[in-house]
Amino acid sequence: MKRLATAMLAGAVLFSTASTQAETLVIAGRDGSYGEALKLAVEMYEAKNPGLETERLELPGGGLLEKVTIAMREKAGAYDVIMLDDPWAVEFMANGWLADLDKLGGGVDEDFVKPARDVSRYPVGSGPFYAVPFVGNVELFAYRKDLFEKHGLERPQSWTDVLEAARTINKAEDGVSGAVFRGKKANPIVTGFLPILWAHGARVVGTDGKAHLDSDAALEALELFLALRDYAPKGIETYNSTEVRDALMQGTTAMTIELWPSWAPSLDDPAKSKVPGKIEIMAAPGQVQGPAPMLGSWLLAVPAGAKNPERARDFIDFLTSPEMQKTLALEVGIPPTRASVYKDAEVIDRYRWYPAQVEALQNAQPRPRITQWSRVEAILGDYLQLALIGEMTPEDALEEANGKIARALTR
Amino acid sequence: MPGPRYTSLLLLAPAIALFALLTLYPLGRGLLLSFFVTDYGLEGALFVGSENYRELLGDRFFRRATWNTVVFTLLATVSEVGLGLMLALMMNRSFPGRRFVIPALVAPFVLSTMVVTAIWSAWFHYDFGFLNNLLRAAALPPVEWLSDPDLAMLSLVLVDLWQTAPFAFLILLAGLQAVPPEVYEAARIDGASPRQILLTITLPLLTPHILLAALLRCIDSFKIFDKVYALTGGGPGNATETLSMYVYRLGFRFFDVGLASAAAVIMVVIAGLLAAIYVLKIIGGQSHVG
Repeated sequence: MKRLATAMLAGAVLFSTASTQAETLVIAGRDGSYGEALKLAVEMYEAKNPGLETERLELPGGGLLEKVTIAMREKAGAYDVIMLDDPWAVEFMANGWLADLDKLGGGVDEDFVKPARDVSRYPVGSGPFYAVPFVGNVELFAYRKDLFEKHGLERPQSWTDVLEAARTINKAEDGVSGAVFRGKKANPIVTGFLPILWAHGARVVGTDGKAHLDSDAALEALELFLALRDYAPKGIETYNSTEVRDALMQGTTAMTIELWPSWAPSLDDPAKSKVPGKIEIMAAPGQVQGPAPMLGSWLLAVPAGAKNPERARDFIDFLTSPEMQKTLALEVGIPPTRASVYKDAEVIDRYRWYPAQVEALQNAQPRPRITQWSRVEAILGDYLQLALIGEMTPEDALEEANGKIARALTR
Repeated sequence: MPGPRYTSLLLLAPAIALFALLTLYPLGRGLLLSFFVTDYGLEGALFVGSENYRELLGDRFFRRATWNTVVFTLLATVSEVGLGLMLALMMNRSFPGRRFVIPALVAPFVLSTMVVTAIWSAWFHYDFGFLNNLLRAAALPPVEWLSDPDLAMLSLVLVDLWQTAPFAFLILLAGLQAVPPEVYEAARIDGASPRQILLTITLPLLTPHILLAALLRCIDSFKIFDKVYALTGGGPGNATETLSMYVYRLGFRFFDVGLASAAAVIMVVIAGLLAAIYVLKIIGGQSHVG
């Protein structure tokens, strides 16, 4: 009898433990300001949903890609919500690694900016939604208005104007470089170079799905990019977003050829910037073609094997709601993906460049929608850096990169 | 009742089974995959014979990674064992404060590599780094420690030297302390100078320890990954890309398992050759002494 009572008690304890086990939501996301935004959103969501336990991974871009790709390939079901850079998403969607959000319910309404909305579907722009745009990043260009005025320079209309301005200011101003960009290999140097390449009418991968770097236009673009190196700070080969932002905010550069809105929400804050109010932001200049701002939207998705997909969908809806997008823009400086938030007076009052930013975002071009983009980008990054440090001529670098990209596209 | 031969086999069986499972199986599987084009986690594999090896040998990045790895291994091993030997000779005598100096010398070795790279990353900074500040204070021009392709590899060797020379130092100090003092006393009575004692007694008696330290450092240096990953990412260009980085990129960024396996097989062969030279030298040395 005593044994029976003990067994019943043990069973009751086990049952109560199982029944009170908290619901969990596992999120894999970025670090930096994106991480801050996710942290804030998770805290607010937990406050609304008592009893929910949230685990959040905070990783740099490369580490996040590696972790989530391995989890998808191993069908591990490790995450309920994942954050994806838009060029990665093609591989995830094409391989069936993401849940169809239309089937999970909710859809993705038309308030989201069209280019970011389009890359959330597969096939792009027409298929079902597999993701929701979270960060409305678009690659912009920034220059020091005061220095341009001082040296009688006009707002740059072309990349040739940029090069000329860099030369002038670099020569005249002590301690101020003409231009700054991300020279670090792989993704950083490629994203710095692509707007110049596109403005010259060249492409890495054409609409026919083949490598197209062996063109005169691509060579002209690379020569211009390399010419900018002469007016860039020492050690530009190792520069990443932190160094570019520091150079801009410390007033040690006249221009940055690449500025992502989320890097610099405090451009006008005198506590953080030595040149508040002096930096002008615009879409990157054109050359033989008009401006070609690059889309760099970060998306949220639910893996096909997620253990808690309904909760994940609900959290994504919460995170991308107009109210939350406004809160994250004001509190952390995360660029919204909803057009309505860009019209909000309070938001515009804080970020004077938002009208220009949303215009660039509406016209933004995505990187090639191919499943092999990560590898293509890595190959191009390797050869761009070899050209940047002078180990290869621009002609050889492009020719060899093109051959290797062509092989990668067939693998 | 099994005989002693069967008993020893029985006792060895768990170790052999573990070795087969954890070492031989992955090696064999890697070798097999190196003849296929296959994508990790996705279905299907295409047999391509030696195509992966041909592609690797024709790739400038692979050839450079191999060269970089060999250069790094040689520079790091020689400098670490050399510095370790000097430190061991200096510390193999009594002086005031010795018991504080030795732990201080060993301190970098107990730090995690990520901490070490964070420290050196700050020291190497062109504008604000400690090293360039020192150079400026001495009226010398600052140096691009990590962004100059000719210097970046040496900078990595410097970091490795700082962190792991204490390891060679500890092995060699233990070797020196194992030499009986009578040998030195006899040499001094015979009128040998300190230089003669070093060259004809200390170094020959220390040779097995020097070879052991060199072997261990050589194997470890050949696998260099973390410092490269954290400090240069293999750049500038491919000036510091090593074989481990190369295999990692193929395997974990591109998930090209076949090509990554082929690169890993080549890496194992080179490492095996390097280790074989040392092992034969040590065994040869021991049989000679015997």
